[in-house]
Amino acid sequence: MITCDEFMTELGNYLEGDVALEVRRQLEHHLSYCQTCEVVYDSALKTVKIVTDSGSFDLPEIAARPIREKIMARIRKGSTP
Amino acid sequence: MSYFGEVDLGPSFRPFDALHESLGFVPNLFRAQTLLPRVIEAETGLAAAMLWKDQALSRSQKELIALVVAAASGNTYCFTQQHQTLRSLGLPDHQLDQIVRDRHQAGLSRPDAVLLDFALKLAISAPWLSREDVTVLRDHGFANESILEAILVTGLTNFFCTLSTGLGTSPDFAPRAIAASQQATLPDKRIYVGGTAGPYLDAVELSPESFPPFAFFRERFGLVPKIFRAQTLRPDVIEAEADVVRKMLMPEDMLSHVQKECIFLVGSAANLNTYCVAAHCEMLRAMGISMEESDQIAIDHHQADLSDANKCLLDFALKLTARPSEFGREDIELVRHHGFSDEQIIEAVAATALNGFFNTLQMGLGITPDFETRHVFGPKGAHLSPTADRLAEGAQVDPDAELVARVQDGDLDAFENLVARHSRRVYRTLMGILGNIEEAQDAMQDTFLKAFQHIGAFQRRSKFATWLVTIANNTGLQRLRERRHFESLDEIPSEADEEFRPRQVRAWTEDPEELFSQAERRDLVERELMKLPAKYRVVLVLRDIEQLSGAETAAALSLGMPAMKARLLRARLMLREALAPHFASQAKRMGR
Repeated sequence: MITCDEFMTELGNYLEGDVALEVRRQLEHHLSYCQTCEVVYDSALKTVKIVTDSGSFDLPEIAARPIREKIMARIRKGSTP
Repeated sequence: MSYFGEVDLGPSFRPFDALHESLGFVPNLFRAQTLLPRVIEAETGLAAAMLWKDQALSRSQKELIALVVAAASGNTYCFTQQHQTLRSLGLPDHQLDQIVRDRHQAGLSRPDAVLLDFALKLAISAPWLSREDVTVLRDHGFANESILEAILVTGLTNFFCTLSTGLGTSPDFAPRAIAASQQATLPDKRIYVGGTAGPYLDAVELSPESFPPFAFFRERFGLVPKIFRAQTLRPDVIEAEADVVRKMLMPEDMLSHVQKECIFLVGSAANLNTYCVAAHCEMLRAMGISMEESDQIAIDHHQADLSDANKCLLDFALKLTARPSEFGREDIELVRHHGFSDEQIIEAVAATALNGFFNTLQMGLGITPDFETRHVFGPKGAHLSPTADRLAEGAQVDPDAELVARVQDGDLDAFENLVARHSRRVYRTLMGILGNIEEAQDAMQDTFLKAFQHIGAFQRRSKFATWLVTIANNTGLQRLRERRHFESLDEIPSEADEEFRPRQVRAWTEDPEELFSQAERRDLVERELMKLPAKYRVVLVLRDIEQLSGAETAAALSLGMPAMKARLLRARLMLREALAPHFASQAKRMGR
């Protein structure tokens, strides 16, 4: 049996899929009876998915092109690597 | 005079002012490194904190330690320098020579002679040093502060001896012949200690929350290594050491951080230093080098999966560490022949010397390792502990390798291609740090210009994309620091990560992405990301938006793996907290 604190300590590794089999078993057992940790784990997992799928901070091609052109103009005008 | 050219750093280069003030001149040792001024800054900071003034030990006591250690190392450059300094402090030539010949018959007080015994044992046979040797010092009236200084000065002298050998500096004064010592300094092989039987000295607690160097170490390594915790009687020294790590180890502009860690690893293994080997294996692991590969580098780097150039670089560091008397100009030529620039070679010498400093310090303090040790060191060298797992990993394939090679051959179109491939990634990283569209676009230009400028020196030990993101990260950080009112990623201590506790514990709806359109979700995530402190925003951007691997994220942020993981979890939980009101189950009723 592990405590909620112990669960939280391992949560980072668990979300990353980076825990040994025995630890995973203990974590999953904890989730089976601890509603609070279950909610935190489930919503953290959903958070990661929402962020990953959000397309945040994308640079539209229409904005990217002039910047790339500026960079290359400065490089072609100036030095060599 | 040295193996390297000297450039004029101008009258405003402050380390040279400090040298003028303390020594009256700028030694060749520092002139030899003017191609890499940041290294001189770090080194002079270290010397100023430890050597050039009366502290718990008097300056003369410290300079005497440096004299006998330089003599025992057979280092004419440092010996001549120390001889001259001690003469200027009023000690006559004949006494100095007699101290080297037989310190117990040279008119020194008994405690001073015993102090030199200790320093010599630490310098020549550190793994055999024991708690008993420290007790002898205490019995002669030396307190913790004084013993710590003796250890530091011994380490610093080791550092300068290695530097002068590697740089090939000629003495600043007429060279002094080193008198033959009549005293044995050979270790008693029966009591091999291995340097981890301590800690031998008392220390006080300092917290990362109130002591910025500890916050820096925690950010970089995920913990404050015990080697620094053991020196808290001298916070000024720890500050100088943090500065050395920042200026000599972290930068990627000459040698890569990985190359320098490898230099530390082979040097520590040669010095039988269990603590440092474990620490550098862990650092390398955080940068994506497997434990198996690190083990191989520590045991025999020739059998490791390294380029010929990197093997040559490690041969160079190993010779300078273990056989300095055989080291010469031909060793410099050999690494030059493998394509290393003079700046890179100077950095390799400095890294080798710095490793000697930390190895000496660790053995003098006797600290136990921070990490699991996979290597067993004995008087005859290193071998792997039998449980070490030796699975090999496949080499990383870099999809940009061919384009990078073409750019290195001068092909600008290839670089344009790299810019097109990576501009969105660089922009997102910079948005993660700066949180401002115009600034991110501006910094993106800087990032690519810097990458172009340094691509010739890019050694391909990491993927190009990781290297580029590291440059973007540094560029973004630089701008953030310039914005004084804004939070820095690493200099302001954060609240302890473990204190963060989730507050929103209502269950989320089954399929939260259904609740909002793609554009709404993007706006929401961007808005909430912008509210996070920059250090949390950037780790989320790299790991969850860019989808770099954990190791790549850690490397790009120059963080240890544990530090990156702690920050990532904290960031995800903070964002979860912010998104919860929108996605908790009753939100379903409100719909979009």
